[in-house]
Amino acid sequence: MIDFSMYEVKEPKISAYRCTSCGTLYYPAPMVCKTCNCRRDPVTNKGWETFDLQGPCTLLSWTRLWNLPEGYTKKNMMFGIVEFENGLRASGQLEVEDPQTGMKLVAEVVESDERPGKSVNVFVFRQ
Amino acid sequence: MANVGIVGIGHTKFGNSSEYDLSDVLSYAAFDALEDANFLSRRREIDQVIVGNMASGLFCHQSAVASALVSRMDMEPVPAELVENGPASGASAIKIGYMAIASGMADIVLVVGGEIMRKVSGWVGTDYVATMLQTETEYNMGLTLPAFGGMFTRMYMERYGLTQRDLALLAVKNHENGSKNKYAHIQAPISIEAISDGPEAAVVNTYVAEPLRMYSTCPVSDGAAALLLVNMDSEKAKSFPKKPIRIAGIASATDTHCVHNRKDPLVLDAVRIAAEKAYAMAGLTPKDISFAELHDAFSILELAISEEVGFFEKGKSYLSVRKGETNIDGRLPINTSGGLKSKGHPVGATGVSQAVELVRQLRGEAEKGRQVSNPHYGMSVNFGGFGNNVVALICAKE
Repeated sequence: MIDFSMYEVKEPKISAYRCTSCGTLYYPAPMVCKTCNCRRDPVTNKGWETFDLQGPCTLLSWTRLWNLPEGYTKKNMMFGIVEFENGLRASGQLEVEDPQTGMKLVAEVVESDERPGKSVNVFVFRQ
Repeated sequence: MANVGIVGIGHTKFGNSSEYDLSDVLSYAAFDALEDANFLSRRREIDQVIVGNMASGLFCHQSAVASALVSRMDMEPVPAELVENGPASGASAIKIGYMAIASGMADIVLVVGGEIMRKVSGWVGTDYVATMLQTETEYNMGLTLPAFGGMFTRMYMERYGLTQRDLALLAVKNHENGSKNKYAHIQAPISIEAISDGPEAAVVNTYVAEPLRMYSTCPVSDGAAALLLVNMDSEKAKSFPKKPIRIAGIASATDTHCVHNRKDPLVLDAVRIAAEKAYAMAGLTPKDISFAELHDAFSILELAISEEVGFFEKGKSYLSVRKGETNIDGRLPINTSGGLKSKGHPVGATGVSQAVELVRQLRGEAEKGRQVSNPHYGMSVNFGGFGNNVVALICAKE
């Protein structure tokens, strides 16, 4: 039997950013901090910290989309905008039975290959 | 700064032009504008051609369309450049044309906006249009422009009490106007019974992006529109047969690329700031505007934009629609052309098409039944992205 764990399978993640000079949080990453104008180097991230953006969040709005773009084979999909406990917001896919604005959700990150090009990590908001 | 006026207008009938080459469609509108200005035989005297187009590389597999247009119109060696600002490419092209004249670099500028979107299937086109969203946090998630239209509509409904019937009333109004517009994609009136009140309404008016339905969403269209701009203070301005319609104010503003990063996603800062700048430039206030063309790619945007530009209080615009105040014979007619909902939305053409409608109304050339009574100032708002790059234009009858 082959032990695939040696290949260190990576969990899909989405990163948020913190400017270490002033503590302002961002998603997605900016090139310059709006609060203290600190520059972020996209290669080294020097002066900035990253952290995983996931977990508890609140649903701000949602839609069920019936005209999906190229690459999506489902009949319809739901999307939502959420706010995390740290104040950051994100848009992503929504998978709940009866969505209601203001409901508490959990943001998970999964890999998606539906859009053209390489696979990407996407948010799925669930109860 | 020089006064800039519009002395020629051209417009194709919006609809399905997918069998045609984009440069032919652009040329058709350009030819009409030059003929309207009686300038066709003198077209090489034009100082600058500016084309507004969003995505010919994607939709038509064609690039450098400004050069193609000049050659198709036999206008070489007139300089030509392309302007791209998503669905606001057309109005941005007008703004750049205005700046060329105001700066003194040009006296006569031909502005053409156009797009052919129907060479590809609807789902491929939806994907292409979605590429204007923020790549990492929106496009990659599977989001599209209608998805944001749906979420925006839900927030507005929950906060201000807007109903599905109110959205249907907007569609009825705009289809009534569009049914009389010779350039409109969909020249058919619709009834409130058919899309809202009747027993078959839910079938006729199906969901696109809940709570947005089909009749609250613009069609996918092909087409082009053109303007001939002139320095009104120059000698050349005297040679045009029709009195110029003056560009009294034109301005643009930007907002966050990610919709979720706006402090209040229902507030359209770029619309408000662009409008404020255009009013200041024109020395006008919202009360001076006689009629407006507002970018209703989704019907909710007609309401939200009309509030941001100062026509109505926040969350109250739909009450004015219920009273008929934005109808052709109302106190402030909105989307007299039929708007994007009925006239259509070939993305790169829309801003120029809105300006053509302002000129037609101010000249008194709109069709019977949709001519605004004695207008002095017309305003248009062309909405790029999901409100992240917006252009406001005010035109004046001299």
